[in-house]
Amino acid sequence: MELDLIFEKLIKKQAKYESTILGLNLLITRLQKQYSTNQTPDELNKCMQEMKAFFEKFNAILGKDIEALRKL
Amino acid sequence: MFVNLNEAIQLIQEGKILHIAADESLLKQLPKGKWIAGTTPYFITEQGGITCKDKLFVNEISCAIDYKTMVYDSSNILDMTKDAYPNGMTLLIIPFASDVAVHYAKEAPNSNAIFMNPTIGWISGYDLSTDSSAKVYDGVTGESYGDKAVALHISLPEDKMASIGIVNIFNIDENDAKIEFMQDSLSVTKCLVNGEEVILSDYIAENNIDTRLPLVADYNSVLVNVSIKSVSEENKTVDFYAPVFSGKEYRFARPVSDYVESFNKHLKGFRDVKPIFSCNCILNYLYGELDDKATPPFAGPVTFGEVAYQLLNQTLVYAEIISN
Repeated sequence: MELDLIFEKLIKKQAKYESTILGLNLLITRLQKQYSTNQTPDELNKCMQEMKAFFEKFNAILGKDIEALRKL
Repeated sequence: MFVNLNEAIQLIQEGKILHIAADESLLKQLPKGKWIAGTTPYFITEQGGITCKDKLFVNEISCAIDYKTMVYDSSNILDMTKDAYPNGMTLLIIPFASDVAVHYAKEAPNSNAIFMNPTIGWISGYDLSTDSSAKVYDGVTGESYGDKAVALHISLPEDKMASIGIVNIFNIDENDAKIEFMQDSLSVTKCLVNGEEVILSDYIAENNIDTRLPLVADYNSVLVNVSIKSVSEENKTVDFYAPVFSGKEYRFARPVSDYVESFNKHLKGFRDVKPIFSCNCILNYLYGELDDKATPPFAGPVTFGEVAYQLLNQTLVYAEIISN
């Protein structure tokens, strides 16, 4: 599955994924809260951008997570 | 490493980039250099827990290829990530009971970009048997502060990355009462217990809850503690060391019968970790009677709060540098 779609599902709490990376788990929690209090396309886009930026920056240590997320 | 004053001075004079924790009486004798520090007389060394005012706990940050120290107050601490290096880590020390500590505790978890920069640190403290106060030091200027936070931003080589982790010995039972709060706060009167509005201090008294146990919330499988500072049955208030947040479900932690055994059990999974920094909570130190007890591979200051991106309680936090 495309990562973008998986990110969207995570943010909307339509999918669950638990990482071993502390920062990713805390980020998912915050984005879920952020979106749940303002469920608009604009807010979703902001959350998506933040998630993508995190994966881009920490790509080197998120290999296992990306692999597992694609299998969701 | 746990060193005496002369050894610490020598490390500074050699130009090492250092994080230091010690009693104020020692910190104020240190020369200027590439270091930050916070006050505490409590430590868990490789030899075990100890209360000590004549030695300093020093972490040499030898992995750094560049560094800068910055001082922040409530107005700009959330801008800290803007000062961080593109690939690096920030070591943050905030004085206990300061406005900046309260502000960071409440606002950091909701801050954009906070997770884009690995941030670890602690709340500095003081000898609880005195009426002293917590301080932080910026070694570059030699200035100390009781009302500002100090950060050591480090830059890492391209093939290295910082990783932040925690060890939390507490657990929850999903069948236990679910506690929710109406707003983000460090002090509450009312809350919802299993959906029913109650006065939390009454609930604690009526249910004979051990207030040494933290409230615990699940952050996508990461258990985050909020420790109880005080309960006033007279004022019907419960004060916390870190804020509770609306929209989160909390449960009181299950009792821990033997702290040391529990730590040892949890630490088995961390044998291969090579921390460049770690610290543990004073509540674990006190309630767990960790004097003379070591927590390998972790050693460091005993603190009045822990920072792993956001403020945590009753938790061991650590940073390690890993190869990409």
